[in-house]
Amino acid sequence: MSQNILEVTGLEKHFGGVHVTCDIHFAMQEGEQSAIIGPNGAGKSTFMNLLTGYHRPDAGKVVFAGREITGMPPHKVVRRGISRAFQVSSIFGRMTVSENVRAAVQAQMRATFRLFASARTLGAGETERMLALCGLEGKRDLVAGELAQGDKKRLELAIALAGKPRLLLLDEPTAGMSIDEARSTMELVDRLNQELKLTVLFTEHDMGIVFNHARKLTLLHRGEIILQGTPEEVRANETAQKVYLGEHRT
Amino acid sequence: MTAKTRGPWSRLYAGFGISGPVTLLLLAAALGVPWLPGEFWTHVGTEVLIFGLFAMSFNLLYGYMGQISFGHAAFFGVGAYATAMLFTALKGADGQIGIAEFLLSLLAGPPVAALVALVVGFFCVRLTGIYFAILTLAFGELLFYIVFSWYTFTKGDDGIQGLLPPPFFQDSTNFYFFTLAIVAVAAAVMWRITESPFGYALRTLRDNQRRAGFLGTNVRVHMLVNFVLAGTFAGIAGALWGPFSRSVNPGLLGWGESGIAVFMTLIGGAGSFIGPLLGSVIYTMLQAVVKMYTVYWPLTIGTIILLIVLFAPGGILGMIDKRIQATRARKDAAGADAAAAAPAKEQRP
Repeated sequence: MSQNILEVTGLEKHFGGVHVTCDIHFAMQEGEQSAIIGPNGAGKSTFMNLLTGYHRPDAGKVVFAGREITGMPPHKVVRRGISRAFQVSSIFGRMTVSENVRAAVQAQMRATFRLFASARTLGAGETERMLALCGLEGKRDLVAGELAQGDKKRLELAIALAGKPRLLLLDEPTAGMSIDEARSTMELVDRLNQELKLTVLFTEHDMGIVFNHARKLTLLHRGEIILQGTPEEVRANETAQKVYLGEHRT
Repeated sequence: MTAKTRGPWSRLYAGFGISGPVTLLLLAAALGVPWLPGEFWTHVGTEVLIFGLFAMSFNLLYGYMGQISFGHAAFFGVGAYATAMLFTALKGADGQIGIAEFLLSLLAGPPVAALVALVVGFFCVRLTGIYFAILTLAFGELLFYIVFSWYTFTKGDDGIQGLLPPPFFQDSTNFYFFTLAIVAVAAAVMWRITESPFGYALRTLRDNQRRAGFLGTNVRVHMLVNFVLAGTFAGIAGALWGPFSRSVNPGLLGWGESGIAVFMTLIGGAGSFIGPLLGSVIYTMLQAVVKMYTVYWPLTIGTIILLIVLFAPGGILGMIDKRIQATRARKDAAGADAAAAAPAKEQRP
């Protein structure tokens, strides 16, 4: 049996009186590609925030690659190998596309305290690779804040990948994209997973994407996991139909 | 396809942005200042340089890191006092100081300013936005009152007088070139820092601090390092001030002095490296001229700031840069149209 790269046990989070994460037990194996689904407010983003150190859990444990990371600040979690792309694209709006990616590459290289090195050349090759990978070569000199929504999301992904993660968390990676853009983005995600053996966990509202690109699904509802299984199992499940999938029937 | 023939200005712009050509122009002007008749403009020029360096150090916090400080003069003042106190201790009974002692006293300013910035910054970098601004203001005023009321150590509101530099530097032209050299070197070092991976890490903090953390950047430590750097460069400017004006006073640490750096940066433009220095040129020279004719200098500068904030929020250089980019975009578009039309022409029998 292969080792679990991520193991979450008994994770809890309250915001005031609201219980947004209730006793979550969750595990991922290296190389897995899974999705978390659930209605709005189910706690998907909070779960990602808890994994990446943006929120501190009230109880429970997060173990990544054999080491406990519970309660670590984001910059330390990233260095352990978890990168994330955000739902609402969270980029560096006044910098150009290539400066965005380059800054991420240099942060990954831990070069950000080199006061007298030249930012233009350090990590340039890796930056180009990331731009090419995400199809942003033609837009490198554009100011990131002025990009179209789909391009912002691709930049978001490029920034996350520049962190050289072992586990990539994607919060609605295709939100705001056209159908073509969404397809090419998910093809890229599949490629990263299959060729680079990157472990991928994503949330998504588009059930077509979920069923085509995730090999395991976790259904969250009001902060609790109510179902885990393969896409076929989830599709066939009555509870899943009732709390979530029903909304998406065409 | 026509190869773009690019002039030296254009290449300068490509390499350094708007700061490239403007720096060259300012440097040329700076070298010419001592040849103007009388000592007046040489004095004003020295002041422009010292305050320009001070404003540029402030812009490390504001333009690059995205935090506004209303207490930055504290480090300028601490640097000035450190130099002034060592100067007083080293000068002879006749009030004269040797060259070596003079240079040594100048060297005292920056490290003391850095040390104070380290302590103040330790607390300030925990906050951002308005809270950061208010805390810097509070620390600035705190330091001002310490200097203002500690008579036995700082001579309180009397200040420290008699900072007469060695005879060679008493000549206003010599002191001017001395200042120019120091400010130029300090500015070059600052430029290097802003173009380093550290400088770009600061920009990520400015644009999106939360995301910067998710890149693996330790937000607080980067902010603190930059705070200390900004304080150090302010300390260099402060160290020059005492021997230039022959005295220091507690007002140098006050919020009014901090406001000058903010004003200069807003006038010149926080978005470019050289903007604050241009702001100092405009502010200081305008002040020198306006004060000759009227006592309403605060009213004048207030009106100017109001107009800048309302109509040119990027400062003067921000406004010019926008124009340049718009013109270039239009030219590029025209060029692309011509290129698209050209092959069609060739295909004609």
